[in-house]
Amino acid sequence: MNGSGRGYVIENGTIVIQRKLTQLDEFVQKFVRILEKHSDYLIVSGYVSISTGRTRGTEDVDIIFPVAARENFRNLFEALTENGFWCYQRDNWQTVYDYIKNMAAVRFATKKEMFPNIELIPFDEAKKAKHFEFTHPQKIRICDFEFKIPEIAFEILYKEMVLKGKKDIEDAKHLRAFFTDIINQKKLKSYKPLMEHELHEA
Amino acid sequence: MKPKTRMDYVELYAKKLRNEPLLFEQQRMLIDSQIIASRELFRNMFGEGKDFEKKARSYLKARGII
Repeated sequence: MNGSGRGYVIENGTIVIQRKLTQLDEFVQKFVRILEKHSDYLIVSGYVSISTGRTRGTEDVDIIFPVAARENFRNLFEALTENGFWCYQRDNWQTVYDYIKNMAAVRFATKKEMFPNIELIPFDEAKKAKHFEFTHPQKIRICDFEFKIPEIAFEILYKEMVLKGKKDIEDAKHLRAFFTDIINQKKLKSYKPLMEHELHEA
Repeated sequence: MKPKTRMDYVELYAKKLRNEPLLFEQQRMLIDSQIIASRELFRNMFGEGKDFEKKARSYLKARGII
C-alpha cells in the first residue's frame, strides 16, 4: 500500500487496490497460484466487485478457463488435490474431466471445508462474450496477489445487461462509483452489441 | 444527497472507499467473519474426519448443487 489516500492506484496498467488480504483473497490466491501453472484463466462475477471493496458475502468464486486437454486437466486436478483442495463432483480426475469436456462447471474447496469454493467454468470460442473478456483481461493486485479480471467496463455491462440479478445490479453500481475516474464511456457503448448477442444466445 | 435506498448506500460506500482506504478494514472484518462462521457451521455438521467430503456431497446432492 502506497499511502496515497486513494482506494486504488494504477501502476503500469495494473489496478492496485489499497487494502490487506481477506481470508477469501488468500483462498483464491492459493487456488490461482496452482491454476496458472496449468492454464490461463479469468476471475469473473461477484469476486470482481468484492475484491474491489464491495461489502457483501459470497460462497463461490467464478473462474473461467479455456476447455483443457485431457492430460492438462489431469495435471491441474492432481496439483489441486495434492495441495489441499477437494472437488465437489468427484475424487477422480477422469470423471471430473467428463464434466469439463461437456462444458459443465466443477467446484473446488479447501479439504474439510465447504465454503468458499471455486466454480471452475470451461468455455471455448463459441462462447463469444466469455472469449472476448478472456482475451481482454485487466490485471489487478492486492498486496502480493496479482490476478486477472475482465475489463471494468465489460464487467459492469455484463452485470447490468446479462446477469441482471439484484446483487449484480448492486455490484455494477459499486464498480461504476468506485472506478468512476477510469471507466471508459466509449468502451461501455462499444460493448453493448456483445451483450445483446449474449442475451440472444442465452 | 441523503441515502435512502440500499442502492444509495452501495454507491455512497463505494465513493467513500475511493478516498478513504481505511474503510477496507470494515469490509475485511465482514468477509472474514462470514468465512469463519461458515467453517464452524460445516464442521459442526460434518465433523473433521475422513468422511467430511462424503457427507458434504450428500448435502450438496440433496440441495441440487451437484
